[in-house]
Amino acid sequence: MALILIVEDAALIRKMLQKILKAEGHTILEAQNGLQGLQMIRTHNPECIVLDLLMPEMGGRQVLMAMREEGLQIPTIVVTADVQQTTRAECLELGALTVLNKIPKPDELRHWVKKAIGVATQEGIYEPNS
Amino acid sequence: MNLTVDQVDVLQELVNIGVGRAAGVLNEMIGSPICLRIPYIKVLSPQELQPDLEIRFNGDILSTVGLSFSGSFAGTAELIFPTESASTLVEVLTGETAGTPDLDSVKIGTLLEVGNIVLNGIMGSLSNVLAQHLEYSLPTYVEGRIDKLVNSKQLDAKASVFLAHTRFIIEQLQIAGDIVVIFKVGSFDAMLKAIDLAFEGDNERDPGSPERVWHS
Repeated sequence: MALILIVEDAALIRKMLQKILKAEGHTILEAQNGLQGLQMIRTHNPECIVLDLLMPEMGGRQVLMAMREEGLQIPTIVVTADVQQTTRAECLELGALTVLNKIPKPDELRHWVKKAIGVATQEGIYEPNS
Repeated sequence: MNLTVDQVDVLQELVNIGVGRAAGVLNEMIGSPICLRIPYIKVLSPQELQPDLEIRFNGDILSTVGLSFSGSFAGTAELIFPTESASTLVEVLTGETAGTPDLDSVKIGTLLEVGNIVLNGIMGSLSNVLAQHLEYSLPTYVEGRIDKLVNSKQLDAKASVFLAHTRFIIEQLQIAGDIVVIFKVGSFDAMLKAIDLAFEGDNERDPGSPERVWHS
């Protein structure tokens, strides 16, 4: 099981994400904004990051840019309310593994976390409508 | 500014699509059917906006989450509940009861996120259909009567605004809410151009239904 960092300003969403991932046996770290998240990435070196975009102090885009600049290659799942195709493309361009819209379905989140930590390929590809 | 019948038709349908997406998201969050009314759209001055909204909201104390957007077109989208409905919604989402001492901070934090998700649903749909990227500010919370909400927007008195308003009802939970989108008209012109571009040559549109229901 993996060390996963959730970077999300909304307590409701943090709680929902944490519940899904803890049930899978993962250890969860939490940050309430991008700045705090970036510090925790540097100090804890998580195996996967679940990252919101619109947050106070520092947003998710800035976190992705900082990670790229610092060469921190940690699989990052963006979870955002922003459903714009342009935003999705931008996040992928910045190095995100995938972009999920809030609130992600538990199966969808579990699949991408497994993929992020390198076990998803053994279990097939997630189909959103299956 | 007067809109043509075709422009009203397209705008109404665009708002319908966006609100439909937003209702779908809200439905997934709470697991209860959402009933939507057909959207009302109008171009008016900031001076006309307040009395118009006062009639719609009947002097109630409201809990409002606002999401400002900028880019090809700018404005603000608001998710508005009578405060009592907002409390019920938060209780459904968090399992907190009204007697919990810290309900206010929980209520506001939760409502901000609900508003963020729902309003991104409507604005993101508009953005995707019109192929125009929008930048969002952090959502804000205002509680009070409609004049407080309108004043908080600091609209230019000389500018016009485009108002789109849809009411939704969650009968199982006895919750009523409203989605109001206010575009600044300078940018509204840009939006009309984007609509013309996106719908060029498309004369057959689905008129939509007067009322739709989302089930989980």
